[in-house]
Amino acid sequence: MELTRHPELPPDYLARLEAVQPKNLPPELDLFDEQTATRGMRLNKAAYSLKDARQRKLFARDEEAWMDQFGLTDQEKGLMRRRDWIGLWRHGMSIYVMVKLSGVTNTALPEIGKQMRESGGSDG
Amino acid sequence: MASVVGGIGASHAPSMEHIYDAGDEVRRSDEWEPLFGPFEEVAKWLEELKPDRLVVIYNDHMDEFFLNAYPTFALGVADTYPVADEGFGARPFPPLPGDAKLGWHIARSLVADEFDITICQELEVDHGVISPLPMVDFSEGESGWKIPIVPLAVNVILHPLPSPLRCWKLGQALRRAILSYPEDLRVVVVGTGGLSHQLTGPQFGRVTPDWDQEFMRLLSEEPEALTEYKYEDLIKLGGTESVEVVNWLAMRGALPRDARPIVNAYYAHRIMGYGLQTFAVNER
Repeated sequence: MELTRHPELPPDYLARLEAVQPKNLPPELDLFDEQTATRGMRLNKAAYSLKDARQRKLFARDEEAWMDQFGLTDQEKGLMRRRDWIGLWRHGMSIYVMVKLSGVTNTALPEIGKQMRESGGSDG
Repeated sequence: MASVVGGIGASHAPSMEHIYDAGDEVRRSDEWEPLFGPFEEVAKWLEELKPDRLVVIYNDHMDEFFLNAYPTFALGVADTYPVADEGFGARPFPPLPGDAKLGWHIARSLVADEFDITICQELEVDHGVISPLPMVDFSEGESGWKIPIVPLAVNVILHPLPSPLRCWKLGQALRRAILSYPEDLRVVVVGTGGLSHQLTGPQFGRVTPDWDQEFMRLLSEEPEALTEYKYEDLIKLGGTESVEVVNWLAMRGALPRDARPIVNAYYAHRIMGYGLQTFAVNER
């Protein structure tokens, strides 16, 4: 997005504004920002719900019913069923709620990490 | 009048909880002694210093706050802070004692200083607070928590984040808040998080010890230099999730310029650069 250089803006204003949105990062260093947060809202809501023990019980008993509560798309549901951590990440799931899924799915963080590392070079 | 008598910078991580909860044998193993030994040193230092309150600058990991309304800065004004269930059941610690009166005073002071924080009468704290805290302030089998806390949460999760300079200034404003409090309270300011770690993408597990140790040196000797860093820099240097180090910078902002590091411990292990630094303050 090209920012407007309006004459009323102080000289350092645009530099400060640009610093707030890091953008010269290599693609493998992601950010949780406007794009990610917007894309991932449904998935993040779903995984966040697992803070609640009742939601964890429902997940264990009937994962499909659990997913149905959050209006996930078919694609998102597919990623969940396949435990496709890298795919979930690319669809905007924050690592901090992904960790809550690691509990109910019995997936240790190193296993998620292994998938993450093996994702290098893929188109995302 | 209240005073700031010391500062602590400490990493926070679920791994620290697992190891702590596993008991003494694991804590003192060759693998984990480099992490726990220095914490013991800090616990002793704190016991001698006898602070009345800890202000803990930390970040939540979507255990209290969620993306529906994510606060940039949030301050606890409660007399008690329950331990959050992060998705595995809450750790079996009693709620942490707070100090609502001091919390409200800090809220007013920060707002007077143009830091418009979210004010929380209820707040569950997660590993951002209770992964390091038991190691320095908990008696097992005795009285439990010893020092009441005031938690101050910083958004380091959802960009745009408050800039490193802003976090430094927050610390300075927190100092003014404490100094203007009429009760004779000795306060230690704690900043938690970091140091280097990368939990997402193909660089998962990347740790950068050289940068971590340079960060700790700068924090001690030239903290103002850190305010010039941009998130782009911090992310490249220490990883996406390492930006939590701004909590340390806020802590340092609350200390006098000539605060001296007493404990300086660093341990890079597995997927984390664990740092621990305490600052002594000349009492005037």
